[in-house]
Amino acid sequence: MATVTLQNIQKRFGAVNVIENLSVDIADGEFVVLVGPSGCGKSTLLRMVAGLEEVSGGEILIGAREVSNLPARDRDIAMVFQNYALYPHMTVEDNMGFALKLKKADPADTAERVKKAAAILGLENLLDRYPRQLSGGQRQRVAMGRAIVRNPQVFLFDEPLSNLDAKLRVVMRSEIKAMHQRIGTTTIYVTHDQIEAMTMADKIVVLHDGNIEQVGAPLELYDRPANLFVAGFIGSPAMNFLEGRIEEGVFRTDKGLILPLPADLSPASAGGRPLVYGIRPEHIRASDQGIQGRATIVEGTGSEIFAKLECGGEQLSCLFRERIDIRFGDTVGVSIDEKRVHLFDKATGQRL
Amino acid sequence: MASVSIETARTETGNKGSKPSRLAPNYWPFVVPALIVIGAVIVFPWVFTLWMSVNSWTLGQEQTFAGLDNYIRLATDFRFWESLWHTLIFTVLAVVAPLFLGTLAALIFDAQFPGRGFLRGVFVMPMMATPVAIALVWTMMFHPQLGVLNYLLSLVGIGPQEWIYNRYSVIPSLVLVETWQWTPLIMLIVLGGLAALPREPYESAEIDGANAWQKFRYLTLPMIAPFLMIGVIIRSIDAIKSFDIIYAMTQGGPGTASETINIYLYNTAFSYYDIGYGSAMAVVFFVIIVALSFALMMVRARANWSDMETR
Repeated sequence: MATVTLQNIQKRFGAVNVIENLSVDIADGEFVVLVGPSGCGKSTLLRMVAGLEEVSGGEILIGAREVSNLPARDRDIAMVFQNYALYPHMTVEDNMGFALKLKKADPADTAERVKKAAAILGLENLLDRYPRQLSGGQRQRVAMGRAIVRNPQVFLFDEPLSNLDAKLRVVMRSEIKAMHQRIGTTTIYVTHDQIEAMTMADKIVVLHDGNIEQVGAPLELYDRPANLFVAGFIGSPAMNFLEGRIEEGVFRTDKGLILPLPADLSPASAGGRPLVYGIRPEHIRASDQGIQGRATIVEGTGSEIFAKLECGGEQLSCLFRERIDIRFGDTVGVSIDEKRVHLFDKATGQRL
Repeated sequence: MASVSIETARTETGNKGSKPSRLAPNYWPFVVPALIVIGAVIVFPWVFTLWMSVNSWTLGQEQTFAGLDNYIRLATDFRFWESLWHTLIFTVLAVVAPLFLGTLAALIFDAQFPGRGFLRGVFVMPMMATPVAIALVWTMMFHPQLGVLNYLLSLVGIGPQEWIYNRYSVIPSLVLVETWQWTPLIMLIVLGGLAALPREPYESAEIDGANAWQKFRYLTLPMIAPFLMIGVIIRSIDAIKSFDIIYAMTQGGPGTASETINIYLYNTAFSYYDIGYGSAMAVVFFVIIVALSFALMMVRARANWSDMETR
């Protein structure tokens, strides 16, 4: 186990800057998730830590060791790939023991370690199978087993659940988390799925266009997003954004809808400049006295009801946890939990 | 349309109350041309050869039934066993050398470098030439006094060699020609295999700590094994029945030093006109080739990692 420090990391592909001056500190044993939309540079960053991609500038430290210019094999890391990257011509046992075989480890010791890792992942009965004979979930477990066997200082996961179906993804998510809690190895996990990030991470790094938008614990990001990008990216369904200004102690949207403000927010600081009012769909409750809106979309999943309301020209997404009877075209009253309101400067996108 | 005709067919069959095969005669005329061709060019020659092999028949003399005499004669014919040994050596060398060099060439041409397309084209050219023409050119090159090979050897201080004119160097020399011609084929097969290899396991191996040699030894080689096996099968069957180059260059000589089974049976049947004995040899040779093919197919199935789940 070790800390990982990224200092002023840069990556250029020709004239294109993919990552500019990125710095992150990862504590020993921490589970850090790099999350962001496609093309934000998160996989490139992970591959640079792995040594599969060259660093254009900056330093990568694993523990106290500078590894930026070391080949992957000398970095003492293990990586789990999106497409598993198993050795197709080797059995599960050989796949898992390959790294130790290369190190010319004692075969008995290798077999023992493979057996132990297989037990952790429930692969004991599959050791003599070939990758093609396994399901997606089993292959992913083998890929994880291959990483565990090596007992590396850092685990790297590159979107490991993207190729699995929704149900299996939820199962594997818990398994990876459980494995981390059991083994405690420092882990860097890349995903574009914010649910994965929220459920698994000790710390989330939100990336956008090669820059860090915010670093923090999952709930910190959810409760206090630093800017519009993080506010829109974290949380599903996405936060409502309504443009307008603060006038006479309330928020008036550009289309004239009046929305409540948190009591502790001093209107003076907002000073009448253009703002963005953010409220998560799950922080809007059904209420007879509140804002009236017409339902334009209603989707029930059984446990919750998602509805899109048109209120005074604005679209408001709402997520109701209680069972209420709404149909398309109905007029519904809702009230906003003002303690959960987020305000952002429209010009800079930063949180007030 | 389809359902109507099936219906009609069923009714007809049902009315006659007989097996469905009663319909078959209607279709026989369509199959007959193919049957005639197969019968004429495959079945008849084989039945005729089998029949000849149990007869004693020298052209110009009377044909008499000989039972297994020809086969018994084969078992005690030193020249036959010698030709079998020559065939074995020639085949092994003419498979292994192109396989090794072809794989090496494929690894080189798989890398990106300037002029790769042109050089690959040049490298493939020997494969396109006619074997007899190649044999003539190489015969001239092998010439002990006038040949370019001895001249090239003299440049590096090696004395003249007798090449195909010496009983000990004749088979290696013939293998050299085969290798020159067929290395490109192996290269093309392996190159196809290399192009089809997945990239991801190499990244895994990089992280697992493999160096370049280990990646080749533990990933590339086993993963292209199915392609190598295809090369081995094609080359083995080709080499074991190789005739044109050997006949055009040495006719099995000097003496019988390069006489393979093919050359011996050709000489027996068409130089000594001993058709019966030559046929027995052809039958034995055929059995050997079929056995070799089966053995190679079995090995190939074992080397094939890509469809292991179906085994």
